[in-house]
Amino acid sequence: MKNKLFEKYFVFSPYFWLVLFFFIPLAIIFKISISVSEWGMPPYQDIFLFDNGFKINTTFENYVYIFSDYYYIGSFVNSLILALISTFFSLLIGFPLAFYIATSNIRLRNILLVLVVIPFWSSFLLRVYAWKIILQNNGILNLILLNLGIISEPLQLLYNQYAVIIGIVYTYLPLMILPLYGYLNKFDLNLIEASKDLGLNRIKTFFKVILPLSVPGIVAGSLLVFIPVVGEFIIPEMLGGSDRLYYGKILWEEFFVNRNWPGASALAFSGIIILVLPIVFFQILYSRWSQKIEI
Amino acid sequence: MDNNFLVIENISKSFGDNKVLENINLNISKSEFFGLLGSSGSGKTTLLRILGGFEKPDTGRVILDGIDITNLEPFNRPLNYMFQSYALFPHLNVFNNLAFGIKENFTQKEIEINVRNIAELLSIEHLLNRRIKQLSGGEQQRVALGRCLIKKPKLLLLDEPLAALDKKLRSKTQLELTTLQKKLKITFVFVTHDQEEAMSLSDRMAIMKNGLILECSSPEEIYENPKSLYTANFIGIANIIEIYKKDENFYSDDLGINFKLNKELKNTKTNILLRPEKIKIQSINNLKTSSFNSFSGEILEKSYLGSFTRYEIKIKNMIISVLDQNFNSNSNYNFPKGEKVICTWESESIKVLED
Repeated sequence: MKNKLFEKYFVFSPYFWLVLFFFIPLAIIFKISISVSEWGMPPYQDIFLFDNGFKINTTFENYVYIFSDYYYIGSFVNSLILALISTFFSLLIGFPLAFYIATSNIRLRNILLVLVVIPFWSSFLLRVYAWKIILQNNGILNLILLNLGIISEPLQLLYNQYAVIIGIVYTYLPLMILPLYGYLNKFDLNLIEASKDLGLNRIKTFFKVILPLSVPGIVAGSLLVFIPVVGEFIIPEMLGGSDRLYYGKILWEEFFVNRNWPGASALAFSGIIILVLPIVFFQILYSRWSQKIEI
Repeated sequence: MDNNFLVIENISKSFGDNKVLENINLNISKSEFFGLLGSSGSGKTTLLRILGGFEKPDTGRVILDGIDITNLEPFNRPLNYMFQSYALFPHLNVFNNLAFGIKENFTQKEIEINVRNIAELLSIEHLLNRRIKQLSGGEQQRVALGRCLIKKPKLLLLDEPLAALDKKLRSKTQLELTTLQKKLKITFVFVTHDQEEAMSLSDRMAIMKNGLILECSSPEEIYENPKSLYTANFIGIANIIEIYKKDENFYSDDLGINFKLNKELKNTKTNILLRPEKIKIQSINNLKTSSFNSFSGEILEKSYLGSFTRYEIKIKNMIISVLDQNFNSNSNYNFPKGEKVICTWESESIKVLED
């Protein structure tokens, strides 16, 4: 009997975790997003009123509000574009690295893996701050370029969207490399040799064999980068300028500056739905497809 | 016959300090089925990979049909390589695996025709729409073979072509492979660690050890007249006896008997090989022991193997293996354990191992 309970605990603990830390908070956010805002603490009215008999007090005005103002939609679109660009560059840098690590000998492989993970040992904030120092007007990068005579006056590298992309690609690169490595690790190198043997040069072999067989790893790594970047707040805050507003920043302002909890919740909830639904749909399609090619 | 179809000239290869191949020279004829036999670490697979273009030799040349291919990339060599793991593409079905190497230069219609033909040749027409995962080991082997043969290579390299198959399927596939090779007249070079496989497939074979070729000849020649102690032991069962010159004849301390050799020896001391099936075994009552080319001993072990029986016979300090064919239909024909027997052989059966 005791064992059964133990087993059940293991089976249900992930669900328990999901319910406690995902579905319940999500429900709370949804609840706030459909409440009427007011000045006070908390800054919204209850959705169930009992003063003059039972009354349900909900509104969809918060959704109407955020969807009718391009300020909100625009920031979300900005974040999506940022996430796409960052994912693309992480993949561009991460794929060759992961492939190299996965195909090198065991000793070198372990050293390289440690090198990939090492940045995690220092604080995330410090690492982003370091980029500030590198990119600022009298920073290392400008200094080097000046001394080499490539530029005559310092470039404005910081506080724009490019600095944000650099910061994000740098911080999220391990999240791209590790799942890719985990997949490429199982890659049968004979397949590459077989492709060459059958007459395909390196480039054709890459597109006909390596790339199609890496799709599961590419998908896993890309999702791991893409999803959190959409909501990324700190990096745009520290490295970005006023040229672009991002979703995370707007969300933060709506909550803490405007104290518009219902509006912010509507924004957060919409964001989750817009992101999660296509991903779930995509995952179903993709798992069907990947079953067929599993290495 | 042109025996310079494939010329391997002075090939050496090291990985770091590890010398894998040392001065390999081989000439292989057109349409020959050639085997490279050796235990693991003998360098046989490295040699095959050099032929395939996956490794570059440190020194030497490979010439195929008059063209130096030493520095050509694998995708520019007019040959194909069948991998031990088969290396079939898991994201493609059988049809597209077979068509993989010809998609570039052929029209859709030509591809169809070629794939159908090769599938028919290997009797895998019914598998064309299958995924690789859905194939048995034997079916995968055929697809791997077909994927190479469809390119009509001048030379086909096979790395342990039958190692992944179970025993029954292996002997069937062995036969099919030789039939196919004779039919297509493509030169096959294959690598194996299995001496039976090497013997049954090869027209000629090379025995490799520690990066050297010890011997290269037909399977019959290598079995009957091995030059080295290593080869004698490696191929089949071998009774190796050390003898030295004593007066007019040769004497073995281990057996305590004299040998008559119809051949003069360079050394006063040497090893001789006596294959177990060359020894005739008889009941002690039938014969008297002669002082030459015969001994009497006691049966220590016997294993009945159907068509023949293997005896381990103890003579003085040595145990000699004897294979006795079971002529008689009477199952009591076998000698029991512990029985004293007399073994005899022809002088010609004794092979001197010079190395």
